[in-house]
Amino acid sequence: MSYKIPMGPYHPGLEEPYKLDMICEGETVQDAELNIGFNFRGIEHLAETRNYFQVIALMERVCGICSFIHTLTLCQAMEQLAGLEAPPRARYIRTAMAELERLHSHVLWAGIAAKLMGFKTMFMTCFALREKVMDVLQAISGNRVNYSMNRVGGVNRDIEDPLALLPLIDELEREMMRTVIPIFTTSSTARSRCAGIGILTPEKAVSCAVVGPTARASGINQDLRRDAPYAAYAEMKFEVPVEKAGDVRARLFVRALEIMESCRILRQALTDMPPGEVAVGGDKFAFVTGTATSRVEAPRGEVIYSVSWKEGSRNPARVHVRTPTYVNMPAIRWMVRGARLADTPLIQASIDPCYSCTDR
Amino acid sequence: MKSLETLRNELGIAEPWLESRGTWWLNPGTIGVRHVAKVMNEMNARFITITAYQLPGTEGFRLEYHWDLHGRLLGLPFVIAGNASESPKFDSIFDICEAADWIEREIHEEYAIDFTGRAYEPLLLRKGDKPGVNLREDPAKPKPAVAAPGPKEVAQ
Repeated sequence: MSYKIPMGPYHPGLEEPYKLDMICEGETVQDAELNIGFNFRGIEHLAETRNYFQVIALMERVCGICSFIHTLTLCQAMEQLAGLEAPPRARYIRTAMAELERLHSHVLWAGIAAKLMGFKTMFMTCFALREKVMDVLQAISGNRVNYSMNRVGGVNRDIEDPLALLPLIDELEREMMRTVIPIFTTSSTARSRCAGIGILTPEKAVSCAVVGPTARASGINQDLRRDAPYAAYAEMKFEVPVEKAGDVRARLFVRALEIMESCRILRQALTDMPPGEVAVGGDKFAFVTGTATSRVEAPRGEVIYSVSWKEGSRNPARVHVRTPTYVNMPAIRWMVRGARLADTPLIQASIDPCYSCTDR
Repeated sequence: MKSLETLRNELGIAEPWLESRGTWWLNPGTIGVRHVAKVMNEMNARFITITAYQLPGTEGFRLEYHWDLHGRLLGLPFVIAGNASESPKFDSIFDICEAADWIEREIHEEYAIDFTGRAYEPLLLRKGDKPGVNLREDPAKPKPAVAAPGPKEVAQ
């Protein structure tokens, strides 16, 4: 006899508001239904009531983890409509900030995954590491969550001494190599909780059009930083880690390898940062009538903004945001099919879901 | 470029691709969205999203379908006639492209556009509310005054 087990909208396993109704036979999940929208904020509607300064501050609040990425994507779209191009130094600063945010997001995710595995020491280790990343972000921007770095035409703050940040990156990489990656990749606890769990086949990954580490862990070799470079990524050398297994362990591996690649990109961005101004265009912009679309590879995958403007207006006519969790989340239904009920919190967490983004 | 031309030939569209602000646009003309979705699947293009716009007055709506083909962002706009008092109808591609599920449901809720050939319950974002209350405007009614905070309120 099958029965339905609701998980959420408020659940100790996942402290974010969404609901997964699981249809189970015994301890095995047969199917699942997803419900979101518990904290829907109507941000796309609000964006139409904000001027070109206010809309940046508003969209920074779509997500608390990748707030920089959201303003970067928005500003890139607005720059296209204003006919502006960020100067080279600003593009390097944007690259460095985007990679720091990726580090922050991946380390945070690793901590939460460790907690869900019942590995609390690792949770504390990851969160201590995350503090170090946030210290760097604070040193650059003066802020720990909403950095207020992006503006139309560049960035608001310069990194005055980029080379001074290199020891912090070295320390972070050393710590990742010494503790986090070996433990996640070799410990029997991590292996038994992650290997062969929550498999998303390559066919299903294509069909669901998943993005980011979730796609790359199912053998899909896609990354906008390489395939459609923005900021200064065209000048960076890095690898795109891809795993084929499609399970929770593969998603963990991909993120662990991406942390190392982020450190590599950061080192290049900070070392090769060209001199010059960090913004162009002043404080008044003339947007042309039309639509511009911008895409960025956020820590969780592709973010896309479509921005529409009417010439002479201070407010956007329309801002549409498609976040990575919005496309990755429906795939959970396929990941939990056949899984043990006890594994479902970790399976859900393995896509690194963001409900703030989804309920934008 | 070769893959773009192959795609255009497969779609049966004579008009050329137009590159604008990083997006490759193709006017589908009379080609239906379901045919486009099928060809995109065959070409291994990745569905990204649909962006809906309400056009001025009673001109209806524009739906911009976005796919990714080997890192190129593709855009195909479709215009739907409709006025404030009715729910315009448009073909669903959900059965061809399951990634379109949530965005079709969201557009249905925001603009009251009916994607034919699929069910909508339960609603995705505004459960229990009627469709079209969020982003759709009634052209007959004046737009409400902008409620954005001024500099004083922001400073507080």
